[in-house]
Amino acid sequence: MKDFSIVGQSVPRNDGRAKATGTAVYTDDIKLPGMLHGKILRSPFPHARILHIDTTRAAALPGVKCVIVGEDTPKIKYGNWRLFPDTQDEYPLAIDKVRFIGDEVAAVAAVDADTAEEALGLIKVDYEELPGVFDIDSSIKEGAPVLHDYCPSNISVNRKIHYGDIDKAFAESDYVREDIFTVHAVSPAYLEPCAAVAQCDLDGRITLWTSTQVPYIIQCLLASTMNMRENDIRVIKPFVGGGFGGKMELRTWEFCAAFIAKKTGRPVKFTLTREEEFLAGRRRHGMKLYSKVGFKKDGTLTGKDLKIYLDGGGYNAMGPTATFLCGTFGAMLYRYPNYRFLGQHVYTNKPPASAMRGFGAPQSLFATETQMNIAAEELGIDPIELRIKNAQVTGDKIPDVATISSCGFIEALQKAAEMSGWKEKRRSPKPGQGIGIGCYSFISGGVFNWFNTQYPFSAAEVRVFTDGTAHLLTMAADIGQGCDTVLKQILAEELGLKMEDIRITSADTAVTPQADLGAWGSRLTMMNGNAVVQAAKKIKAKLFGAVSAKQNLNVIHELDCKDGKVFPKGRPERGISFGDAVALVQKANRGEPIVERGYYTPRDKGLVTPAFSFGAQIAEVDVDPDTGFVKVKKFWTAHDCGTVINQMAVEGQLEGSIQMGLGYALSEQFVMQGGKTLNPNFLDYKMPNAMDVPPSEVAHIHTYEPEGPMGAKEAGEGLAIPTAPAIAAAVHHATGYRCKDLPITPEKILAGKRQ
Amino acid sequence: MKQVIVLNVNGEPYTVAVYPWQTLNEVLREEINLTGVKFGCGSGDCGACTVMVDGRAVSSCLTLAIEMQGKEIMTIEGLAPSGETLHPIQESFVEKGAIQCGFCTPGMEMAALNLLKNNPTPSDYEIREALAGNLCRCTGYKKIIEAVGVAGQKMKEASERKTS
Amino acid sequence: MRLSHFDYHAPETVAQAIALMQAKPGARLMAGGTDLLIKMRHAGLKLQDVISVKSIKGLNTITVDENKGLSIGATALLADVALHPDILKYYPTVAQAARGTANAQVRNMGTVIGNLCNASPAADNAPTLLAMNAEVEIHGPGGQRRMPLEQFFKGPGITALQPAEIVTAVHAPKLAPHTGTAYISLSARGQLDCTAVGVAAMIVLKGKACEEVRIFISSCGPTPVRALKTEAIARGKELTEAVIEQAGNQAAGEVKPIADVRASAGYREKMVAVLTRRVLSQAYTRASE
Repeated sequence: MKDFSIVGQSVPRNDGRAKATGTAVYTDDIKLPGMLHGKILRSPFPHARILHIDTTRAAALPGVKCVIVGEDTPKIKYGNWRLFPDTQDEYPLAIDKVRFIGDEVAAVAAVDADTAEEALGLIKVDYEELPGVFDIDSSIKEGAPVLHDYCPSNISVNRKIHYGDIDKAFAESDYVREDIFTVHAVSPAYLEPCAAVAQCDLDGRITLWTSTQVPYIIQCLLASTMNMRENDIRVIKPFVGGGFGGKMELRTWEFCAAFIAKKTGRPVKFTLTREEEFLAGRRRHGMKLYSKVGFKKDGTLTGKDLKIYLDGGGYNAMGPTATFLCGTFGAMLYRYPNYRFLGQHVYTNKPPASAMRGFGAPQSLFATETQMNIAAEELGIDPIELRIKNAQVTGDKIPDVATISSCGFIEALQKAAEMSGWKEKRRSPKPGQGIGIGCYSFISGGVFNWFNTQYPFSAAEVRVFTDGTAHLLTMAADIGQGCDTVLKQILAEELGLKMEDIRITSADTAVTPQADLGAWGSRLTMMNGNAVVQAAKKIKAKLFGAVSAKQNLNVIHELDCKDGKVFPKGRPERGISFGDAVALVQKANRGEPIVERGYYTPRDKGLVTPAFSFGAQIAEVDVDPDTGFVKVKKFWTAHDCGTVINQMAVEGQLEGSIQMGLGYALSEQFVMQGGKTLNPNFLDYKMPNAMDVPPSEVAHIHTYEPEGPMGAKEAGEGLAIPTAPAIAAAVHHATGYRCKDLPITPEKILAGKRQ
Repeated sequence: MKQVIVLNVNGEPYTVAVYPWQTLNEVLREEINLTGVKFGCGSGDCGACTVMVDGRAVSSCLTLAIEMQGKEIMTIEGLAPSGETLHPIQESFVEKGAIQCGFCTPGMEMAALNLLKNNPTPSDYEIREALAGNLCRCTGYKKIIEAVGVAGQKMKEASERKTS
Repeated sequence: MRLSHFDYHAPETVAQAIALMQAKPGARLMAGGTDLLIKMRHAGLKLQDVISVKSIKGLNTITVDENKGLSIGATALLADVALHPDILKYYPTVAQAARGTANAQVRNMGTVIGNLCNASPAADNAPTLLAMNAEVEIHGPGGQRRMPLEQFFKGPGITALQPAEIVTAVHAPKLAPHTGTAYISLSARGQLDCTAVGVAAMIVLKGKACEEVRIFISSCGPTPVRALKTEAIARGKELTEAVIEQAGNQAAGEVKPIADVRASAGYREKMVAVLTRRVLSQAYTRASE
């Protein structure tokens, strides 16, 4: 462990006071003079052709200022996978067809929200209903209704990974296990519903305030769908009330706000209702997974053959990435000498699935981890021992998939076992009680440039001032996960300043340096952190040069910044204040301010990620034998995120993940019938509340990731993975019911428990 | 028809004209610009819109503004004693890491106040029960529960200081 | 979604409320609004007139009288019922049901009577009060009357109220010595959540035998269901494990639940057996104390 001043501390959030006092401004809190209020008309049918839309009555309603339908727009498709334009399958407003209940058909802007809502009821749409497909199996059947003409098979993405000789591996195995798993869709359920406010200036340029994880992606895709230049669009991310993957694409209301603002010359605001979020919002992919693994008698893995179908809903959204990543994660955690993966993304007439915390990994690793637990039982080996035997370690390489430059997986397994009293509880459980394990690995940002950005993946600008302060500018989006604070900490550490010495401006595409791909895939600490470090090092080089010259230091001296001072390491008493050092540089350059930029783009790191996190989680449950209700008594988690930059923030991320994993495992689901969501509210979408979340204990496994800033890598997203398999294993231990189709419900337990 | 009423919010009287169907949430956010009050679901399930009315926490999304005449309303904006000093609940939320995205925070703090003003030393169960109407997707509640416990201690100490 | 547009009335007396209801057919009464406003916002309910009963003086009273028993007024809040010291002491199951109805905020707005008049088959406050033989007090154009709560529920959202009638209170009789009550509800999120299935029981003991048994099941039919045959099994008997087991099985046979977003029909049926066993056993123990 390196010796840090601020890195590693539990520094309270940068924006804590603003949020605690209610002064933090979220998008829906913005009110501009003359602002119109927009509402979206959505399809009531899961699959239908639009024959005709009559907006005359709506447009004539007093107070209505603008009504638009797909035909009024430039009709340009969008999607985040710009590198492969044929994956871009969505129009901001439906053109010919609607493909799910809630698909966006028209938009209205009026002087107030009531009027806009009333106007929606006056738009007459003639539909020709088409037969729909609502699950993977019926969608890929011969002769199934086709959602998109370009894709007659309904399979929009194929992804293959193959290394070794899988057939030979199974032939030489002592034990081969084959299972089919199904996992369900769940909602990101961020507390802040999506919202966007757009304003158009006299030159026709657009400013968009939006609740997004990806300001830069919104800027680019809004420009392309509006047929405008990127630089004529400014995207500002106000405070964002959570995203979890659900806010990482351009969405209809962002386009409509901008388009109508341009058309009417008045600012326009769209805010979604919770009902819209649940009926039509993005969600985690439901999947069907065919997994076959082989072992030697002693538990050594021989290979894995994995086929995954993703239930994509009506459009691709971030489905291609999920298809890509669920195959990647199928090869992670353990050493599979032979591996074959086929992933297929399938269209269905349901709301599009997309990115959500874990991004393909919770599904894929639910299968892996459950199968590992089954195999352990059948091979007669302790589940943790079996994992340790096959665990990936630092230095492991997987062709086309991963280079593991730091890995605390085995240590995490050992620590989790120790903390939980695994051996004893596993051997002699109390009646109705059980204990089980699940593990995870996750990426620290993506390498594969599907967005086809022409800029560095991350960028940071640092300005320093003669008063000893600094200003950090970055496009990185803090959506609650805390990157503003963490990036400030990294800069403070590097420059030897205090947190309060640093001002941060973030996520405004017109003033922060190009570019940043956004807050997803646990990329910001790694990627933007590295950009900040690079900018800070450039600043330091300037300061050190000036201080060396001024003090006439021998060239062998190394300098450092700490506690607001710049000093030769060997002669700390000769240090001068940071501000004075800045002044020296400025004087030498006729007042020119010190501004430096740092960039980061992962190179030579394979196609997936610069670094992987690892961890293990153990759950202990109590199952009511009569009702089948599961009460999780406790979680023990040991995780390796490399250097912990902010302990409190890391813990918060982990605890939040646990809540989400708990809901995924036990209570959250969309109840759907014929493409219609029957539980579009928090009453019946059962997200765990404060009474449901059990106590948990977390241990940090210390590793140092050479690629990361100060040794840091991913934290908090990967932990969305292990909770469901850990609970499933504990429920099996308690009852004999082995869950292969999430969620684990009381009904399934009662039906499947040992008699 | 619109009716002119006076709302007492955070100790200040506001004269507003409201329709019968306007909720307290809409009037606070849109007419009085107290946007610290959030709107998360509109069905009383998420708690983001929680405000205090006559000392009790209620969902402002399910409260008609027209019924609020003559009541004392307190929003998150009225919790801190001054612009520079935080209320112990706010202080604890910041210090303990109980805030991430912050969207649930104002409602969560109101729910905490609803509990702590009568019971500054609640049990873990009482805290969880008191917060069960406030959903949070970021924190997993653990640090929020801790913060509420600490805030209660601070409030108790402050009131003991006052009386001694 | 915003609320649909309506006229708002706030009568100050019961008589005014009745007159308003007569003058505005189709008007709905509102107490806490925690059900009505949700129906207006999310379920497409459109009303011309909403009549708030909150300004009617005296309707928020809660009394526990040694002889007359428990009275809960129409605007008494769930929170006040849940924390009322005498209710906690003499009618703990009533307090428990009120507390379990909803979260703290909704308890500070919603009322027990509102929960009853909403007539959801899942209403948490109904089964216990039904088991206790409670009565509702009704005022209307024809004067005042009392009706056993058992006759009050006619279907989902439908009550026995005549046009322009208002429920002003619910009364539970004084409980006989050696009476025990219990209520258990299940839902996917554990506590304070919408009930997927619930059972309440009241037992009056004579010696070790059940002199009186009343069992009501919620969320398993269009209204709360009384398990008459189950009661007959337990009546006159000491509640041995065998009797309890038999009663549970019988109760499951007395309901014809439907499947919905909260549970399947089959699961509900099974849980009726489980919960009936549990409430009988709890109520029996309490009655014996």
